[in-house]
Amino acid sequence: MSGVDLIGVTKVFGHVRALDDVNLQIASGEMVALLGPSGCGKTTLLRSVAGLERPTSGRILIGGQDVTNVPTRDRPIGMVFQSYALFPNLTVRQNIAFPLEVRHRPAAEVKARVDQLLELVRLVPQADRYPNQVSGGQAQRCALGRALAPSPAVLLLDEPLSALDALVRTRLRDEIRRVQQLVKTTAIYVTHDQSEAMAIADRVAVMNHGRIEQVARPPELYESPATHFSATFVGSRNALELPVVNGRVVLGGAFDVPAPAGATDRAVAFFRPEDVEVTSTGAGHPATLEVKIFLGSTTRLHLLTEVDGRQARFYADMPSREALAYEPGAKLAVRIDPADVKTFPVE
Amino acid sequence: MTATTVTSVGETREPLRPARIGQAIMFVGLFTYFTLPMVAVFLYSIATRWTANILPDGYTLDWWVSAFTDQAVIGAFGSTLVLATLTAVLDIAVVVPAAYWSRVRNPRIRTIVELSAAIPFALPYLVIGFGLLQFSGIVAPALQGTFPLLVVGHAAIAFPFLYWAVDGAMAAAGIERLSEAAEACGGSPAQIVRRVVLPNIKPGVVTGGLLAFATSFGEFAMVQTIARGVYTVPIWSAEAIRSYSGESGAFNRLAAVTMVNFIVLFALSAAVVYFNRGQTVRLLPGARNIEQREQG
Amino acid sequence: MNATSPTVTPALEAGVRSGIGARVRQWLGAWLPALPLLALVSVALIGPGVVLVAQTFVDANGLTLDLWGRVLGQPVNQDAIVTSLALGICSATLTLVVGAPSAWLISRMLAGRRAFWLGLLNVAANFGGIGLAFAYLATLGSVGMLTLILQAIGLPFVPPRSSSFLALLMAYEYTNIPLFVLLTIPAMGIVRDDWWEAAQTASATRWQFWQRIGLPILSPFLVAGWLLIFTWSIGIYGIAYGLAGQSGGTAVHLITLQIGTALQSDILLGPARAAILAVVLMVIASASLITYRILLRRALRWF
Repeated sequence: MSGVDLIGVTKVFGHVRALDDVNLQIASGEMVALLGPSGCGKTTLLRSVAGLERPTSGRILIGGQDVTNVPTRDRPIGMVFQSYALFPNLTVRQNIAFPLEVRHRPAAEVKARVDQLLELVRLVPQADRYPNQVSGGQAQRCALGRALAPSPAVLLLDEPLSALDALVRTRLRDEIRRVQQLVKTTAIYVTHDQSEAMAIADRVAVMNHGRIEQVARPPELYESPATHFSATFVGSRNALELPVVNGRVVLGGAFDVPAPAGATDRAVAFFRPEDVEVTSTGAGHPATLEVKIFLGSTTRLHLLTEVDGRQARFYADMPSREALAYEPGAKLAVRIDPADVKTFPVE
Repeated sequence: MTATTVTSVGETREPLRPARIGQAIMFVGLFTYFTLPMVAVFLYSIATRWTANILPDGYTLDWWVSAFTDQAVIGAFGSTLVLATLTAVLDIAVVVPAAYWSRVRNPRIRTIVELSAAIPFALPYLVIGFGLLQFSGIVAPALQGTFPLLVVGHAAIAFPFLYWAVDGAMAAAGIERLSEAAEACGGSPAQIVRRVVLPNIKPGVVTGGLLAFATSFGEFAMVQTIARGVYTVPIWSAEAIRSYSGESGAFNRLAAVTMVNFIVLFALSAAVVYFNRGQTVRLLPGARNIEQREQG
Repeated sequence: MNATSPTVTPALEAGVRSGIGARVRQWLGAWLPALPLLALVSVALIGPGVVLVAQTFVDANGLTLDLWGRVLGQPVNQDAIVTSLALGICSATLTLVVGAPSAWLISRMLAGRRAFWLGLLNVAANFGGIGLAFAYLATLGSVGMLTLILQAIGLPFVPPRSSSFLALLMAYEYTNIPLFVLLTIPAMGIVRDDWWEAAQTASATRWQFWQRIGLPILSPFLVAGWLLIFTWSIGIYGIAYGLAGQSGGTAVHLITLQIGTALQSDILLGPARAAILAVVLMVIASASLITYRILLRRALRWF
């Protein structure tokens, strides 16, 4: 059993509450992504689990053991850093062997384990190269091997892909997931990239201002954001601020939904571009097509409409073949299924 | 520089730090070590008699007065200031164009200059001075023992400081990009230098100039070797220190002069640190490469 | 380092014609602004060096090695060479022991405190020569302040003779330690915090980190610093002159002091003896500097 429990974890720096009463339970073998913008506290939380930051209050348990006051080197963890942090004077092989050698494992055992890990992260040809002789992707794989060498209870990853090129990033992301599922290590993965978090994790914890706003499996997070922040951060959504009239939020002929609880006289309606139904004739709210952006299999239409006496813009995504029919300047009608509209009070 | 690094708003890493006690002891020790001699010199300069007790028997300002009304002393300070100023000015005039050109036009200049910059660091000033004396005897005997020759010598040994400072400032300002942009806007070379290059490397020029000034200010070996006639503060000090058991007060006056020397250096150093805003002035040949790779 | 393609000024472009004139103009275009500096270096550094070396092989009768034999055979010169080397080695080693930890600590400080120490170090590093010699006397001379303090406490403290090896060593340290620290602080930045964090997550102790990662990476730079201080120390003149310049027989013998004496008091044979000794210094210093450069290049191979 090697789950992680975060209980009331708070971290205060002067006047700043980097972490504000964070509670999270991570099951053994699960990969949880901490997702949020810079300054939301995700890295601080990860480093608290590692022991590189000491929480002001709260408890951290790994595998049921309270490690809150245990120094980093005595915690059963392995960590992958954004900057790789490979030791430049050691080869790839020696870097991976490092955690085992400082634990004084016998040489034969070390060699066997390192060979196994080199196979696992697919770095056998680069085994005797130095960090400045390998590419970014290879360096990060070496870092992963080093983190896994002592068979840690928890694997911690701090934005491991941020320093890499886009193409390498996707490949390595999938690689990390493959390895994690193979060795079944509990893992915490910090990122600010929502598509990365959703692609890789079993569950995603969305953080903002030191608090966890929502923890859910990726599909659920995508479909049903629980807060205004989750809605804006996860998936690219349209957001229109609309007046609340008679307890309902209405956008002309497009949709008519009940107002959210706690709304005053205005509310924000979120809906996804792919849920916008567009026709050139027929019923719906009038909108003008400003520009078409070709994205490959889909095309994004930038639409201009009038709301509450003012201009508002939003996007509609449709298969590119259908989008061919519309030209900039066209007058269109839009409808959105009320089930696809989520409303929140204005913040 | 990696003191503490801020990863995101409000977060700081706790870096590698040894025991607080050990640190404190080391620094108190170092601080005492460096300031004690200065305290001693200062007390000497205001003491009437000081041969037996921890502190002087009495205090007086007589030594300061007699030192700074002495024509020899005033003359020495004058010569030293003029010498140091000319050294700095000559160095700036000679180094800035070379550094600029090595960056925007001819990288081979850099190799030669860096190699030459190692010479004053490796060869003692005494040897360079002696060599210069011999060399001038062969090439231009009229200049032997003269003030201009001394300026040339000082400029040669001080130029590395200026080069490192100016080169560093040019790197930090991205002078190649700025020059290209200025050229694309239609600027002439003279305009570029005056309006784009010089303003952007001001901290480097000032720092380097101050260091060159300081080098010349305290230099003794070359002055003694090359220009017997030139009377600088170090020469005066050497004569004063010689009169150990001689005239009373010679040592005390020397203390006053040394104190002024120290204050000048202190002011120069404060200015250098101020202009660099806490960054280290990179003197170690090759250290620049380290820093570039670190930040690259 | 950013490599840029050379920018060709319009004026140069317009002036290109075939022939020698064009080649000269092109060459000037590449080197002109650097010529004053190169002239200064040639005249004041390179020329003198060459002349000195040449002079050691020429006497009244022409080309000869006699001078070398005579000068190096004299006991006082041999003593000077040995003592200079010993003083250089001792000073550099002592500097390394005190300076390395100090450089490390200062490089880790926050900007404000670091600026304070950098300022202090800058002053001490530049404060040499006669002034420092006098400051030493004022502190540790026979009636120096520290001497008086220690005696007043009750310690039977007798300070070393001011022209002795030990006195010179202590005085040298005053400028050498700050110089070493200033020179090695940039190199300290090479050891990154995230390596230490990574080592911690891999369960290494502080000692294991330094032993396996920190010191192997830093040591070439520290040795390079040692070499520089060594080179600098053997060439010190002002401090030595102030403390031991004219104390006659009991004073310590150094190459630099002997050169000074030879130039000032020995009109006939002085220049020749001084030239030989100067060249000896040049050779030692050059060897040291070459070793230094090789060391640095090797040190940077992992970066």
